[in-house]
Amino acid sequence: MSNASEIAPTKCVGPDYRAEEQKPTATVSTAVDLPNVTVLSQTPQLIALLSIIRDKGTDRGDFIFYSNRIIRLLVEEGLNHLPTIEHPVTTPVGRVYDGLAFQGKICGVSIMRAGEAMEQGLRDCCRSVRIGKILIQRDEETAQPKLFYDKLPEDIADRWVLLLDPMFATGGSAIMAVEVLKSRGVPEERIIFLNILASPEGISNFASKFPKLRTVTAFIDQGLDDKNYIIPGLGDFGDRYYSM
Amino acid sequence: MDNNTPSPSPSTPTPTPQSIVNHLATDLKVPPSALRIIENPEADPTIAKRAHYAPPWADVSIIGIAGSSGSGKSTLSQAIVKKLNLPWVVILSIDSFYKSLDEESSRRAFRNEYDFDSPEALDFDVLVERLQDLKAGKRAEIPVYSFEKHARLDRTTAIYSPHVLILEGIFALYDPRVLDLLDMKIFCEADADTCLSRRILRDVRDRGRDVDGIIKQWFNFVKPNFEKFVDPQRKVADIIVPRGVENHVAMTMVTQFIQQKLLEKSKRHRAALTRLESQARHQPLSNKVVLLPQTTQLIGMNTFIHDIDTSKEDFIFYFNRFTTLLIEKAMDNIPFASTTITTPLNLTYAGLKPRGEVSAVVVLRGGAALEAGLKRVLPDCKTGRVLIQSNLRTGEPELHYLALPPDIANHEAVLLLDAQMSSGGSALMAVQVLVDHGVKMERIVLATYSAGKMGLHRLTTVFPEVTVVVGNVIQDVEERWVEKRYFRC
Repeated sequence: MSNASEIAPTKCVGPDYRAEEQKPTATVSTAVDLPNVTVLSQTPQLIALLSIIRDKGTDRGDFIFYSNRIIRLLVEEGLNHLPTIEHPVTTPVGRVYDGLAFQGKICGVSIMRAGEAMEQGLRDCCRSVRIGKILIQRDEETAQPKLFYDKLPEDIADRWVLLLDPMFATGGSAIMAVEVLKSRGVPEERIIFLNILASPEGISNFASKFPKLRTVTAFIDQGLDDKNYIIPGLGDFGDRYYSM
Repeated sequence: MDNNTPSPSPSTPTPTPQSIVNHLATDLKVPPSALRIIENPEADPTIAKRAHYAPPWADVSIIGIAGSSGSGKSTLSQAIVKKLNLPWVVILSIDSFYKSLDEESSRRAFRNEYDFDSPEALDFDVLVERLQDLKAGKRAEIPVYSFEKHARLDRTTAIYSPHVLILEGIFALYDPRVLDLLDMKIFCEADADTCLSRRILRDVRDRGRDVDGIIKQWFNFVKPNFEKFVDPQRKVADIIVPRGVENHVAMTMVTQFIQQKLLEKSKRHRAALTRLESQARHQPLSNKVVLLPQTTQLIGMNTFIHDIDTSKEDFIFYFNRFTTLLIEKAMDNIPFASTTITTPLNLTYAGLKPRGEVSAVVVLRGGAALEAGLKRVLPDCKTGRVLIQSNLRTGEPELHYLALPPDIANHEAVLLLDAQMSSGGSALMAVQVLVDHGVKMERIVLATYSAGKMGLHRLTTVFPEVTVVVGNVIQDVEERWVEKRYFRC
């Protein structure tokens, strides 16, 4: 594991043109040296959004609004991993724009229930996207994650999959979800996992287990407590989004 | 270039650099030795080179129209304004500057025994201050005087950005400090009986007076004052206009003079913009120009937006998606402060929060295309609006309309939104408007879908503190096609 000094360091954050002393300090994401993990750029605005959704005093309306803003940024970043081809177009003023077009079809798959909270952000960017769902629950007897339900597009094997789950602690459900997708013929390299908050140990384990799968996360937190909750975390995402 | 500073009134001694330093040192509570006088700012290496932009309202031309009460000054002024029909030719009546009356004077006023027709009744100091503000291109708060109450009201009306100001009133040519600020001096003349009958009609109709009182005032005050103070003003007048509006020759002369002034201002403004252009051409972009990272996704969206064959639904969808990212990026450049928050696990996190209120100002019409994106990021943000149009014939940007949040000067950040910036003329003007309304330059973040290099250079040389967030940087000046596609007309 990474040594303590690298875990969630506190730094000055702000745009490059500002002098260090003009930038406020904040705790930023743990840096991980994994080629298949992208952490969103730790801008002051992102830190401010995360501060709101982490705050236990934030009400549900604000929690939903501000997490949606982060989710939209995650989706926009995740879509950057899709393959493109050159596609020059002519503009209304007669100039040629050296554009790009996306190749291949995509779909979303949300890990119920918290992952479903990310569907709106995905639809904001991809209007009529197909969205599959996977329900994974902890088995009472074995304490292991167990697949209870799935409903996925029939042609999922031909699609790029954006796998949605906002919280990644030990990663039990995400690992199982990836295995379900692989069993339906989706190659690992066509899965992009979108996540808001991850634990450093969980995400490292996940990234080395599936070296071709790409993860996009907003923040890698300090670690896990003895109950396997992400710390300092933001509480239970599903509860705060749906019911609290 | 530098004539937007008001000429000092003859009564004020010229301040020396050292006296200014001493004053400043007292204000800042530091010893005067802590401040350094820079003899030649242009040559000083510690001062970044800043180009100067003079908006067309920086050196307002002021036309003074004086004359006896009832001589047709205001009718003439209104006729001129109506004939020109331009929002930047405005009338300022000297009546707004009547002093508020104390109790005793007020009682006399209600008995028609107070002398309103003496120069003593007017607050020339405030008038001169306001005229100097306007001459410097600033916003001027004009007092509102109630003739019914004989007092200034609490509210004021604002005058901002006229290119020509008509100062109208019996003593418009009286105070030497005012005379120094005038570009043309007119004296209106009419027979005394015409004046009296006009005055009776006006005061009964508009000012709630009775005929006896008006006549009493006329013989006690108006007439003697006319001979003593008003009539001598004809000596300093450039032209004397008998018969007011009916005098077509005089009307035409005055209107032509104003048109000439407006033309000169427009030429100067355009020349200044061109000068900025040549100064800026070969410099690298300022580090305060923040370009959205040109990711494949961004270029993909841009491809839909740029393609002439994209459907209207797709255009609006991708443009809104793009501008949401643009506004998010703009929000990275507002000031933040550290804050410690507690998470539901009762652990602390060292986070950030915006230092204060963030508002937006939309440069119409193009900037309104960014409002969908703005509302996705800041749904309840206060939004001001500025309509700046390029003159079809000359290409000169013109300020037509302005509505800003009243507390805008206190906002920690103001996002200035426009769809496209090509030569930068309207962006310069919009930033100038914000600065004139007390917004600090470093608090302004201009966000635009696309910008030409020229425009970016111009803006950042004149306002180096302003941050510019851009979706696309293009080489050339381009017509405003984005708003046409977005609004579909």
